[in-house]
Amino acid sequence: MKKFLVIALALSMILGSTSVMAADYPNKPLTAICPWGAGGGTDSCVRAFCEALSKELGQTITVDNRTGAGGVTGHEAIADADPDGYTFGSITFEVVTYNLLETSEYKSYENYDPLCRLNADAAGVTVNAAWAESNGITDLTSFIAYCQEHPGEVRMGGSSNASVWHIAGGYLMNAADIDIRMVTFADGAASAVQAAAQGVDVEGVTVSLAEARSFIESGDLVCLGVMGEERVAAFPDVPTCVEQGVDAVYYTWRGFALPLGVDDEIRQTLQDACAVAVEDPDFIQYMETAGLGIAYLNAEEFKEFLQQQEDVDVPAAMEAADLL
Amino acid sequence: MDWSLLFQSYGAIFTSLQVILMALLGATGGVLLGAVPGMTATMGVALLIPFSFGMDLIPSIALLLGIYCGGMYGGSISAILIHAPGTPSAAATLLDGYPMCQKGQAGKALSVALFSSFCGGVLGALIMTFLSPMVAKVAMKFTSAEMLMLAVFGLSVIVSISGKSISKGLIAAFFGLLLATVGQDPTYGAKRFVFSFRPLLSGFSFIPVLIGLFAVSEVIAGVERIVAGDEKQESSHEKLTRVLPDGKTIKTIWPNILFGGIIGTFIGAIPGAGGDIAVFVSYGFNKSFSRHPEKWGTGIPNGVAATESANNGCSGGAMIPLLSLGVPGDAVTAVLLGAFIMKGIQPGPMMYVNELPTVYKVFAALMLANIAMLAVGCVGVRFFAKIVSVEKKMLYPIILIVSLLGAFAINKNVFDIGVCVLFGVVGYLMNKFEFPLSPILLALILGPMCEQNLVRFVDVNNGNFLEILHRPIAMGFFIVSVATIIFSIYNQNKINKREAAAAQAEKAE
Repeated sequence: MKKFLVIALALSMILGSTSVMAADYPNKPLTAICPWGAGGGTDSCVRAFCEALSKELGQTITVDNRTGAGGVTGHEAIADADPDGYTFGSITFEVVTYNLLETSEYKSYENYDPLCRLNADAAGVTVNAAWAESNGITDLTSFIAYCQEHPGEVRMGGSSNASVWHIAGGYLMNAADIDIRMVTFADGAASAVQAAAQGVDVEGVTVSLAEARSFIESGDLVCLGVMGEERVAAFPDVPTCVEQGVDAVYYTWRGFALPLGVDDEIRQTLQDACAVAVEDPDFIQYMETAGLGIAYLNAEEFKEFLQQQEDVDVPAAMEAADLL
Repeated sequence: MDWSLLFQSYGAIFTSLQVILMALLGATGGVLLGAVPGMTATMGVALLIPFSFGMDLIPSIALLLGIYCGGMYGGSISAILIHAPGTPSAAATLLDGYPMCQKGQAGKALSVALFSSFCGGVLGALIMTFLSPMVAKVAMKFTSAEMLMLAVFGLSVIVSISGKSISKGLIAAFFGLLLATVGQDPTYGAKRFVFSFRPLLSGFSFIPVLIGLFAVSEVIAGVERIVAGDEKQESSHEKLTRVLPDGKTIKTIWPNILFGGIIGTFIGAIPGAGGDIAVFVSYGFNKSFSRHPEKWGTGIPNGVAATESANNGCSGGAMIPLLSLGVPGDAVTAVLLGAFIMKGIQPGPMMYVNELPTVYKVFAALMLANIAMLAVGCVGVRFFAKIVSVEKKMLYPIILIVSLLGAFAINKNVFDIGVCVLFGVVGYLMNKFEFPLSPILLALILGPMCEQNLVRFVDVNNGNFLEILHRPIAMGFFIVSVATIIFSIYNQNKINKREAAAAQAEKAE
């Protein structure tokens, strides 16, 4: 009898809970999983956005950094989370590479329920200034001409293996029909930029402009073109690749997603909150000063974008960068 | 150097109550975070960034630098007292710190660590103030070839920390190098020793292995002793009359502090190389130049001084490329870079032109942070030293819990707890068969650095390794490495012979 009561009670709680939960959601603090370490670009993005989002939801949001295995650990933690709407997380560019690299159990973005895209930072084609000068390279066109005359000779640093900037090199090769050598810097973009500024090991880098900023400003490096849809606010003088006739648009991005199976009403509440939070003036100011671009896409647009990335763009670029 | 502006900046910093308070607050938090294995200064700094957002630049920088300096010293506390370095940068401190503790000199070890940390930190801050542009210029020259040879030099130190048997040290080192290959290779992403077991993709995390090898193994050995009934409570008769070392001790350790601080500052200034590497390089270097290398590793204050001055020197060193080039030297300075940018200041060469008063105030804030660390340490030493007098039966469970929590906290990954326990058993067995443990650590730190730079160097030079002959700095490190190995072997042979002779003489009597 007792057992029966317990089961009945449990059942009624489960059945009753969904509708009750959706109605007064959220009634307790939320957790945001960040697959990258505290203090990095994704982390600061996530923390700033959660600050704005928590204002909107009226609940605190704790950021939980689950790092390791090139972001796989954190991404899988999001997919595996309890779909009660109280745990969501940040998914980043890398999620569309896991299938091709065979590193994650979850082979597609379809294992996640996308909420919104938040940020995008474009890659830049940045080379050593002295090297460019001695070879008569002044813009992207002359750089491409030089690369075509010297196939496989120009070495570009692209941060760690299979990272977004490594793949950026593949994009560039495809778009400009050139053959350059991508060099891996496992300890990150900073080392690649340093080597390029010294003119040792590599001739240039394909990392974001923000990462190469101090050496561009000091004149050691020169950015020939930014692979964004528009010019970067902090570098109004650097033209885009498209402006120079090379159809290379490539950027890293960060967004948010829920695990699959979250109640529709709850998902809607979160999506609406995201749409408002992205307009938060404190958040906008933070992103501006940190040099992070805001590139919001709602859940539907984000899903389409992910599909395009996973099915078409990224495999082609990885192929070109010799990653597959 | 604009002297009057420099003095003005120092004056402004050292008289601002808010800045002093922030530095003290940061140092307190840093020492506590640093002392808990698995909690790092990077974490503390990252967590406090949003908090410091509402503050002015200088108080928030003082707060963050306080955590940074405090964390560097804090790591030594657990290294000395419970054989578990609180941070990777304190990994070499246990070589002499823990034996000192076992000899009943825990208080002395802590005070030497504090004093050396302070002096190393001040030295780093001074070098940063006066030589930043020069040091940055040299540090920037470190690309693949130089980093490779720096790692080789670091590895050559293994011979000098191997103890009695160099072959056992080398076995441990190669075991460590092998462990370092587990996971995806850094250059091409090939999966090595993963066996389709996902948690191994990123290899063994450093901190769980570190905590397992040193702290958990010690707990296992301790439990064994208690069960066997031969655990003796360390007589904590040591009267801690002073929180700083006495004049006699300072007289013997000052050369180690000086060398350690300079080595630490320089290595800290190289992007990609930090405190964990600097401490071993400093230890090996100081031991080689010691008149009594045989005493190193048995619990002498010199060993603690050499490592603690090096890791705190690092904090000044890591600020050099950050301020003068806008390139962060390590994880903490990467976070600091974010803090500057948030306030609308872009560190880099232009900062010296446009924001010179701010640059000088940062110099002063680092100095203040070191003084704050000294103050916090002075108050804390008395309390920390008491841990030794806790009954071992009570202490071991606490160490075990703190260790496992620390192993978990670093990545919030349950698998890491298993790694920690596994390496606890490995460490226990290695101790039993008298294999030294530190070579494993050194190999784990330097193995990946060696590998990725070697592969990159060969790759960019189309497979021609001999190109390295054209890199003078790299060749310099190579020659020093060979000299270190030869010298260490010679030294060790001398020590072993002397000990054998002494044993013979004892037998004869």
